[in-house]
Amino acid sequence: MRTETALPRFDRSLLRAAARIVPASERGEWRRTWQAELWHAHHRGRRGDGLDLSAGLVRDALWLRGDSWRRMFSGTPTLCLASLAGLCMVAMLFALAFAGSWRELSPHLAEQFRRFLVAAPLVVFVAFATGSRRYVESSTAGRKLLRIRRQMFFVVKTALALLLCFLLSADVCLPISLRFPNTAELLQIFFFVVLALVGLRWAFADQEQRCEQCLRSLALPARVGRPSHNLLEWNGTEQRCGQGHGLLSVPEMESSWRQRSQWVELEPAGV
Amino acid sequence: MNAPRLSHSAALILKALSLGYSFGLDVMEVTGLPSGTVYPALRRLERDRLVESKWEPEEEAAAKQRPARRYYEVTRAGKAAALAATERYPLLARLVAEKR
Repeated sequence: MRTETALPRFDRSLLRAAARIVPASERGEWRRTWQAELWHAHHRGRRGDGLDLSAGLVRDALWLRGDSWRRMFSGTPTLCLASLAGLCMVAMLFALAFAGSWRELSPHLAEQFRRFLVAAPLVVFVAFATGSRRYVESSTAGRKLLRIRRQMFFVVKTALALLLCFLLSADVCLPISLRFPNTAELLQIFFFVVLALVGLRWAFADQEQRCEQCLRSLALPARVGRPSHNLLEWNGTEQRCGQGHGLLSVPEMESSWRQRSQWVELEPAGV
Repeated sequence: MNAPRLSHSAALILKALSLGYSFGLDVMEVTGLPSGTVYPALRRLERDRLVESKWEPEEEAAAKQRPARRYYEVTRAGKAAALAATERYPLLARLVAEKR
């Protein structure tokens, strides 16, 4: 039965236009569903049904596109870096709004940035020295390219996190910098150090929670063992890469189940 | 396993499906919700495995001279979620009448 030709011209055009929004893999099924729904709506002879379905049709197509993007980008390193860069932009806009104009802001920010360049390496050193990072036994240890990619991601993420902390500390202190310049300077350093320490801890924790191959965030944490039997039983958490690349096993205590956290590769990397 | 917390409209749609309204248009009609709410909500419920969709057999539809439609069924997890939603929104049961 030729359903599409039985529909009014407006519906056919809308169906064709909205089909472009739907991801190609789901387009056929989506088209079939909506052709049937529109056909039934028109053959019920209820006034207004067709128009209302048009809104549903477009929102359904948009939902499918949004969901496909969500699946594509959820937990990816690209999303992480883009979010950090976006937050930096927002923080910069706030600073611009507080200062009034770029001419007012740039000398103040340039001066603060010089201090930031001195303070940032110190904060990074302290965070590295005092942070309690897990040692992960890795089966991808021999693969240089994967290791370099992982480290590059960490460096860019850390740099963006530090920049964000700097801009946030500037946002907090800008409103008082005109009336109390000395207090504002001190406060900015204080806020920057506190925020940067928190930001770096987040960066370390986030790095540990990522797949060693695709760098996506690990998901589906599953507890292993019984919470009240810590010493002699297997206890820990297992997290899996959503793409099926591997499994991170984290012991509850480093004396039960495993000596250390271990990354178990399930699917070898194609690099 | 805890039943997922549903929005009021998602709970209403799930309730309608569990009462036997299995097509998108029927759900719209009985709940009074617009299509822009019903169809994306059905997608979300399907993604969360609270409902599953199937196609009407082609022969059945062809015999009635109409295109086959996609219909929705509540899964076991969906039934539990519908029950939890009814407890959370007590008036929900009164809003949707059982299909005759």
